[in-house]
Amino acid sequence: MKRSKILMAGVAVAALFAGFGAALAADPIGKGITMYMQMGGTAGDGSTLARQTGATEAAAALGVDLKAQFSAWTPETMINQFKEAVAAKPSCIEIMGHPGDVAFHDLVKAAVDEGIVVTDGNAPLSSLQKEFGSKGFGYAGVDLYAGGTLTANAMLAQGLKKGDEAVVWGIFSQAERGQSEKGLADTLEKAGLKVDRLEIPQEVNSDPSLGVPTFAAYIQAHPNLKAIGLQHGNVTGVMSDALKKAGKKPGEIIVGGIDLAPSTIAGLKSGYVSATLDQLLYLQGFIPVVQCVMSAKYKMPGLTLNTGAGTVNPQTIGGLVDLIDKGIR
Amino acid sequence: MPKSGVISILQGVEGLPIIVVFALLLALFMYTAPTVFLQPFIYTTFLSTLPPLILLAIGLTFVIGAGEIDLCFPAIIAFSGFVFAVLFKEYNLGWIAVAAGLASGVLVGFVNGVLVAKIGIPSFMATLATQFFWTGMATVLSGGKSYALREAEQSSVWQWIVGRPFAGSQTAWLAQMPMQALWTTIIVLFLWLILTRHRFGEHVLFIGDSNEVSRVVGIDVDREKIKLFTLMGFLAACAAIMLTLENKNFFGNQGQGYLLTAIASVLIGGTSIFGGRATIIGTVFGCFIIGMIEAGLVATGLTGAWVRTVQGLIFLISIIFYLYADEPQRRRTFFARFGRFQGFGRVQSVE
Repeated sequence: MKRSKILMAGVAVAALFAGFGAALAADPIGKGITMYMQMGGTAGDGSTLARQTGATEAAAALGVDLKAQFSAWTPETMINQFKEAVAAKPSCIEIMGHPGDVAFHDLVKAAVDEGIVVTDGNAPLSSLQKEFGSKGFGYAGVDLYAGGTLTANAMLAQGLKKGDEAVVWGIFSQAERGQSEKGLADTLEKAGLKVDRLEIPQEVNSDPSLGVPTFAAYIQAHPNLKAIGLQHGNVTGVMSDALKKAGKKPGEIIVGGIDLAPSTIAGLKSGYVSATLDQLLYLQGFIPVVQCVMSAKYKMPGLTLNTGAGTVNPQTIGGLVDLIDKGIR
Repeated sequence: MPKSGVISILQGVEGLPIIVVFALLLALFMYTAPTVFLQPFIYTTFLSTLPPLILLAIGLTFVIGAGEIDLCFPAIIAFSGFVFAVLFKEYNLGWIAVAAGLASGVLVGFVNGVLVAKIGIPSFMATLATQFFWTGMATVLSGGKSYALREAEQSSVWQWIVGRPFAGSQTAWLAQMPMQALWTTIIVLFLWLILTRHRFGEHVLFIGDSNEVSRVVGIDVDREKIKLFTLMGFLAACAAIMLTLENKNFFGNQGQGYLLTAIASVLIGGTSIFGGRATIIGTVFGCFIIGMIEAGLVATGLTGAWVRTVQGLIFLISIIFYLYADEPQRRRTFFARFGRFQGFGRVQSVE
């Protein structure tokens, strides 16, 4: 009896190991799937790195062949890259929503008609999501207007009051993408602040360090400025430098920004940046790859993930630094 | 046929070195990414995305061939694109919007020509200044906003300029053939004839060699330079309209990505930065190389982060290739250093 029990246990363990072995030997779920993915800015920049990391790790985990494209945030380049991706006939393509619904509609329709799963990240394409959601068109990114509101509320919590002067630098010109800045500016205005809305030019959009003299000059020209609102990760990163150049001390102006680029950490630690919206860029890279596999393989519809869950401030940044240095947060 | 005869025939083929570089690169991508580059779709895609770059680069070929430079064309893409988009969308003016967009480009180009030829400002400085000015004007007038051209494809303007004439075809790649490729081909052929067969082209290259000598032989240098910049303005406006219609959107910052790529396409193609030598064929192949690199690298499996690095490398290789293929003296000296190949090329011996 005892021997037979031992024998059975042995068989069970062997079966378990055999099962594990089979599981380990099985192909990853995304094997055979090729995905083109627009990463946004330039390789490794503060607004792009964590997205790259997330996408790369998801692709490695799922066995997806990932092809990364970088556009320096230029809408025309995003459109051209999408066309080139479609020509390569991959299983899926992830686009950035910046060019807008109208620019992408016919291209996305043609791609979906060819059986390619298209999904969206970073800036929403609401009407496309309604039309092609059942074919896997999802969205992984911040609910932009809500994200802007969240940032503004974090700024207001730091002591801003009615009548204070504020400036919001952003990409107001891009209808959907600009919702983030709009939410921020609207919320500050509703709280009674006087808000100046300024457009970030393309040169600064691609290389924010070019904007430092302009920001510094604006800050010096407005001695009563109490708050700066930003929804551009790389511009948030250079704002400490602009404030120093303008002769401001940490905390003198409340700065609400976005993302956790290494330069933003320094800003948070020094107190120049008061709060920053953490839009979980890693997930903006990871989730579209999962979406791609789920939709291409299991015909699942597009999912929406709002990655704008909260803000980070000088008191909470400490525990995240290692992860940020690794390009994860 | 004797060896020197074959070489001289090959040397007579316009843009041959860059065609060889293009063929090698294409062969490489066909090998590394066969599922993409052995299919027709990537080529029909290039035919829809490259025409604006080709038009700009062709205009620049004339300008650089004349020993000048134009840095203003990205601003014309923004400004003319805005003029066209606002009239097309807000006032529903169709072909009048096209004419106004083209006219605005011609006007900006003409002003550039006057600044360079009549006022005497070096073209680098004049067009750099006007680039800032017209980009700023486009931003001010548009309020920095984008214009979405909804339902643009219903208009005859869209159908004729960037439509897909074979859209109903059962052959998928044929259905994607874009009209802008046809217009660009016609313009390229016409301007190739102008550069190689017409007096204006001859004058341009003469001016590129020497302003003073050109004047001595009776060329109205000022007039030709004004024509040159006006042509550039016209071509940039064509590119702006194509780009705006193809994207069904006017972006407030459109055109900014074309500055270095267009100049690189011209120089890779074999047009001399010092003027006096220009090749339209070389420029067209230069554009295809520049346009193909990213798609090729990404399809091969390299990340898009490599694009600039490889572009720079190919730029260098092309220029070196050109220098040694086109200049027997330089080639002779180079090979003489190694003590062999002394009979290679047109010049037979080394002293």
